[in-house]
Amino acid sequence: MMSTIGGLLSHLPRRATLFAAIVATLPIVGPGVAGAQTILNVAQSRDPQNLDPIDTFRLAWGSVASNIFDGLIHRTEDLELEPGLATSWEFLDDDTRIRFHLREGVVFHNGEPFNAAAVQYTFERLLGEAGAAGPQRANYTSISAIEVVDEFTVDFLMNQPDPVLITKLAGYGAMIVPPQYIEEVGEEAFDMHPVGTGPFQVVEYSPTIGLELARFDGYWNGQAQVDGVNIRFIPEAATRMSELLSGGVDISLDIETTSVDTIRNNANVDLVTVDGPSVTILRFNTSEGITQDPQVRRAITMAIDRPTIIEAMLGGLASPISSAQGSGSFGYDPELSPYDYDPEGARALLAAAGIEPGTEITLDMNNSNDTFREISQVIAAYLSQVGLELNIRSHETSVYFNDILANGRTGEMFLFGWGGWTFDFDNTAYLLYHTGERNNPYIDDAHLNALLELERSTYDVDVREQALQDVAAYAHENALDLPLYNTSTLYGVNQRVEGFVPAPDLRMRYMDITVN
Amino acid sequence: MPVIRFIFVRFLQAILVTMAVTLFVAFAIRLTGDPVVMMVSEASNVTEEDLARIRESLGLNQPFLMQYFEFVKNLARGDLGDSFFRGPVWDLISVALPATLLLAATSMFVSILVSIPLGIYSAVHKGGLADQMIRVLSLVGLSFPNFWLGIMLVLVFSITFPFFPASGFDGLASLVLPSVTIGIILTATNVRLVRTTMLEILGAQYVMVARAKGLSERKVIYKHALRNGAIALVTFMGLQFGNLIGGLVVVELVFNWPGMGTLSVEAIAQRDYPLLQATVSILAIMIVGVNLAVDLIYGLIDPRIRVS
Repeated sequence: MMSTIGGLLSHLPRRATLFAAIVATLPIVGPGVAGAQTILNVAQSRDPQNLDPIDTFRLAWGSVASNIFDGLIHRTEDLELEPGLATSWEFLDDDTRIRFHLREGVVFHNGEPFNAAAVQYTFERLLGEAGAAGPQRANYTSISAIEVVDEFTVDFLMNQPDPVLITKLAGYGAMIVPPQYIEEVGEEAFDMHPVGTGPFQVVEYSPTIGLELARFDGYWNGQAQVDGVNIRFIPEAATRMSELLSGGVDISLDIETTSVDTIRNNANVDLVTVDGPSVTILRFNTSEGITQDPQVRRAITMAIDRPTIIEAMLGGLASPISSAQGSGSFGYDPELSPYDYDPEGARALLAAAGIEPGTEITLDMNNSNDTFREISQVIAAYLSQVGLELNIRSHETSVYFNDILANGRTGEMFLFGWGGWTFDFDNTAYLLYHTGERNNPYIDDAHLNALLELERSTYDVDVREQALQDVAAYAHENALDLPLYNTSTLYGVNQRVEGFVPAPDLRMRYMDITVN
Repeated sequence: MPVIRFIFVRFLQAILVTMAVTLFVAFAIRLTGDPVVMMVSEASNVTEEDLARIRESLGLNQPFLMQYFEFVKNLARGDLGDSFFRGPVWDLISVALPATLLLAATSMFVSILVSIPLGIYSAVHKGGLADQMIRVLSLVGLSFPNFWLGIMLVLVFSITFPFFPASGFDGLASLVLPSVTIGIILTATNVRLVRTTMLEILGAQYVMVARAKGLSERKVIYKHALRNGAIALVTFMGLQFGNLIGGLVVVELVFNWPGMGTLSVEAIAQRDYPLLQATVSILAIMIVGVNLAVDLIYGLIDPRIRVS
């Protein structure tokens, strides 16, 4: 990788000769005059930092790497699972063995063939020493071994049932990697310049700056429309907006709710929204203080007018929820509706619980969410209407998750945002309610534990769905938390872009997009 | 040789300052958060066992002094180590440092280009309309928050009139807005400094002598007055360079400039200890280095300082 100032300057367009004298001593290697190349320019807030599937822990990785890699399973933007690098699969030996039949004739960007050995290498690497240093391994530990049956058939041996495994094979740590290439270039080089079987290949990854992708002509499933994609990492929301509005980028991910009106008022840029996986909830300290009492928790839930918050503070770009999941999630129960806004009822419940008007309670939150900072003030106003004075304590994100939340040092209420890309309530429910989970400092409930262990131990879809709906109903009944809203995933898209299909989970695929 | 001794002592001081700063930073950042928790913050199903395994692979199970000793040992060999999240630190620094230095230099250049002529004009025509205007404008410039100025410039010159890119480092055109942003802020202070310095000198006796000799006003101002004012100006601008590097952080974020500021802020947010220690050490070395350079330049400008 060229990582000198010369490397940076080599990206300069040829016309930039104005100050050439200043940098005359530096090598300027122009990229050559581009022909009729069409390049899609994209902005996203964060840098994936490491392109290796087993090292990643960021949504930002999904937004770029879904173009570079394929999994055995492919999930569409409508959340349908379909064959990817595996053409079919079947459960054998009492579900302890899953057999995958692999697609033939697929090659990696370096020409290396895809086969059963590549699948075996991918998962042995993930579950072995290389994977142990990264955060992805934990998601796949239900797999005990991989057996190659023949060149295009491979068996996964399971040490415990994992009903979400097939979904998890469609993303992140399960992306198939090329054994020969990794052995040849080494782990460190693979982090920065990986090779996959996806529709685009990596040209150059410049940490903190951007990622250049080029169309891979040997792709097994059609051809990308554009010649290349240029993804830039722009952490500042205002700067991302400037680039979008000035036409510097064609598509911007990570649009802030506060920017929505600006985009709607701009003739050249469209706002595209889709229901996302992210939910924002307030959780209660159920083991200390006045929120030990379910009546108090329910009163607080009834005191806050969530539809109005969604309309006024979020521009209508969110949906009310009755549990910590959106409507696209497996385990969502359309019959379960949120508590209605009822300040009268809330006051009555608080009086019945013996809470004096003017009682102070505390909300702990992390400071990285600008939108929620405003909403927290609105929540304080609603609570003061029923006689509760809310103190808000804002913490730096790392301190919040490491200490305040993990060690159970929160006040009566605390903020939690979560969005499992698997769209399976198991992902969220288990970490919220199962005893001993890192993110669950207070709840220890045998009934919830039993339900969660049940849904996690079977492949039976109906049993799982029922158990997850029961978890949601139980949490609702006991007001274990206050589900606020499910935010939409927002994209800003220039009108010269055609064929844009928004990914609900930010795992954008740029293959079918054209730029005019 | 007093000069060599002087440089040697300052060099030792620089090492001590750098050590003290990194020791403090390394210690403080470890008190406030665990990078492993940040790593898994978007993953589910993570057990304590997984966390312990990741910690071990990053060497975080070692005692603090061991970790720090390891860092210093590698630093002494010129090895900045590996970031927790993103490969060798040097690969990141080697992109970010030149970008920051380039921006700092062009900003200083913009500022000097504007503030010296304006300051002199203001001093020579003291009390005139132009002087008043310059003084008011510099006060306005001082009162701007730099990020606000940056956003306004982008609004006008990238969105309304698309002359320059809104952000990033892609072509020299993208240097213009950030350099002007910082340049304007620096100019506000520098103009006042040049003006005051010149006023003081223009009232001095040797200027009167120069005038009495019948030298042209031009020669009096540029050859006699400005040269004598240079010491104060160089000192101040040199020290300002240190502050400038610190102040760049905000402007780098606004313009998504791939520099040391952006890198440090990310390292702090993720508790990337090796990366943060490296960026802070380098910034400390630079600031100490600039101060040293200022001392040396004195000697060049004013031979009287050389001996003591």
